[in-house]
Amino acid sequence: MPRATEPTSVHDSLVLEPRDVRFDWSRLPLHWIPDEPMATHTINVLHLLLPEGERWFVRLFKEALPMITDEQLREEVLGFIGQEAIHAEAHQEVLEHLLAQGLDPRPYVRQTSWLFQRVLGDKPNLTPAQRREHIIERVASVAAVEHFTAFLGDWALNSPGLDRAKADPTMLDLLRWHGAEEVEHRSVAYDLMVHLDPGYLRRVRGMAVAGPLLVHLWVRGVRFLLAADPTLEGRVKPTWREAQLIGRRGLLPQPGRMARSAARYFRPGYHPTQEGSSSQALSYLATSPAARAATTTSH
Amino acid sequence: MDLTTPPPDLYGRPGPDPFMRRVTAFGDWYPKVMGRPLLRRRPGLPAPRPTPPLQLAVSGHRLIATDVVELRLAAPSGGPLPAWQPGARLLLTLPSGRERHYSLCGDPADPAGADTYRIAVRRIADGGGGSREIHDDLHVGARLTARRPRNGFAFCGEPAVLLLAGGIGITPLLPMAREAQRRGLDWHLIHAGRSADSMPFGDELRALDPKRVTFLTGVPSAADLLARAPKGAAVYCCGPAPMLAVVQSAFDASPARALHFERFGAAPILGGRPFAVQLGADGPRLEVPAERSALDVLREARPELPYSCHQGFCGTCRVQLRSGTPEHRDRRLTEEERAAGALLPCVSRAPEGETLVLDL
Repeated sequence: MPRATEPTSVHDSLVLEPRDVRFDWSRLPLHWIPDEPMATHTINVLHLLLPEGERWFVRLFKEALPMITDEQLREEVLGFIGQEAIHAEAHQEVLEHLLAQGLDPRPYVRQTSWLFQRVLGDKPNLTPAQRREHIIERVASVAAVEHFTAFLGDWALNSPGLDRAKADPTMLDLLRWHGAEEVEHRSVAYDLMVHLDPGYLRRVRGMAVAGPLLVHLWVRGVRFLLAADPTLEGRVKPTWREAQLIGRRGLLPQPGRMARSAARYFRPGYHPTQEGSSSQALSYLATSPAARAATTTSH
Repeated sequence: MDLTTPPPDLYGRPGPDPFMRRVTAFGDWYPKVMGRPLLRRRPGLPAPRPTPPLQLAVSGHRLIATDVVELRLAAPSGGPLPAWQPGARLLLTLPSGRERHYSLCGDPADPAGADTYRIAVRRIADGGGGSREIHDDLHVGARLTARRPRNGFAFCGEPAVLLLAGGIGITPLLPMAREAQRRGLDWHLIHAGRSADSMPFGDELRALDPKRVTFLTGVPSAADLLARAPKGAAVYCCGPAPMLAVVQSAFDASPARALHFERFGAAPILGGRPFAVQLGADGPRLEVPAERSALDVLREARPELPYSCHQGFCGTCRVQLRSGTPEHRDRRLTEEERAAGALLPCVSRAPEGETLVLDL
């Protein structure tokens, strides 16, 4: 992806709206990065986590809506909710395609559902004050996760390695459309958290809980998919060393970069607009086949 | 889903998954300790406050083309206004209470203009009255309020850019042309309008670079609009819906690669009939006129109701139906969900005279 001429120009106050994208998965090969099962499945973990995860974002942010007193932030949160709802459905379709190809994702998805509905969902018997705190605390976790999704989105928009490896163009469009919307709305969860609680401790706790959990879920997901892939018969074992080598070839984000990015989240003056480029994200969305298909049907 | 039995092990080993057991215990304990010191919003911290609206006064009002007024708005006591970028729009609340969006057409990079917003408004004789109010009733010194500028049509500064304006759609594209000229991009602007005297900003555009600007009168064809697109260009289009439709349908065959335009949310309601919605079994009954959506009407009674796409595809506004026969017009809900009473009020309606009782 060519960077727009002035990558640092920050677009403030973007109007966020969901895009009615469509993808056709009928021709997606199981290893959609040819001969790269580990890279393929590392990215495939997205499809295991996101449908349930993003539906959880939607439920949680709907619960937080009545606590918002600023009209512009409220509109941004509504745009965020709509975008996340569409992301969840788009990844769900891939999940169904995996099953059709003989890779049964259901044991992992069963756990993801439990995690986002039972473990991270609403709890009975909380006092009103605890319930309010529980909402803000989970918004802080989403803000931390959104730091990663913006990092990954920025990576997806700047990953010529995937094009060189002849990755499936429809999957690349899914990743870059989704990544671009993550970059586009990267401030919303953070701004909502600060609106509800500007305290530094809240931000730190959000990352301290969500960061390690996300990494652990990812590692479990890669192991699971490589074991469940019927064509591999358990031959490929994931290691950090291997992830690093694949990262150097440009097929995955490099783990070290991701760790450094997470560290920046703790800087006192941090704001999500300091990472990634809205210009580049919006440029991609104007070319994305799926997003462009959406535009022709909405008018 | 079963939310009482922890999920089994990932690899089919007997017993519940140990990791799931641990996070479940953590998830049950954590919300209960919330609210203790350091695990709560600091008491005494002021409540989050809404951003106040901008107070503006009309500082200029002049006719710049047939039926087009340029309005200049400034803070009543002077001073800089919030910054904006090409493509941004302002939501004005007129003295009558009408709310209207207008694209800013000034120069955001010009420090001398930082204390003024410029908009251009075409008189729409048979519209909702907002443009007539601006043309006829707003005079220099009149006060009005606005929300801070927001941008749904951001200019990304691609190396080759084609700007397509239809009529008053020139307003967001004028700042983009200035920005493109300043950055030295390969840009071209085509402004199509009914007649030369109805098209504003001709002189300002020609002053930028006369070779990069084309003026057309009449209804432009796809070839008129896209034939000049440089290979790989990004097209920014703002104009009436038929013009955008022409550009979209011819786009894939053109040398251009990216298409930017402003989204307008709700599409016009086709073949709608008046019906009613009722908030709960004993709640108030609200009439939904033929030209409005049920969501619009519901939001007046319940402003906190969530919604997002206005087009029946994202599912955010989903409500539960208690009784009544709906006409589903969304493309999101499955047959099972509909049978279970789910409804998207942003697009779905009911036959004339029907009352939909909702769980609200």
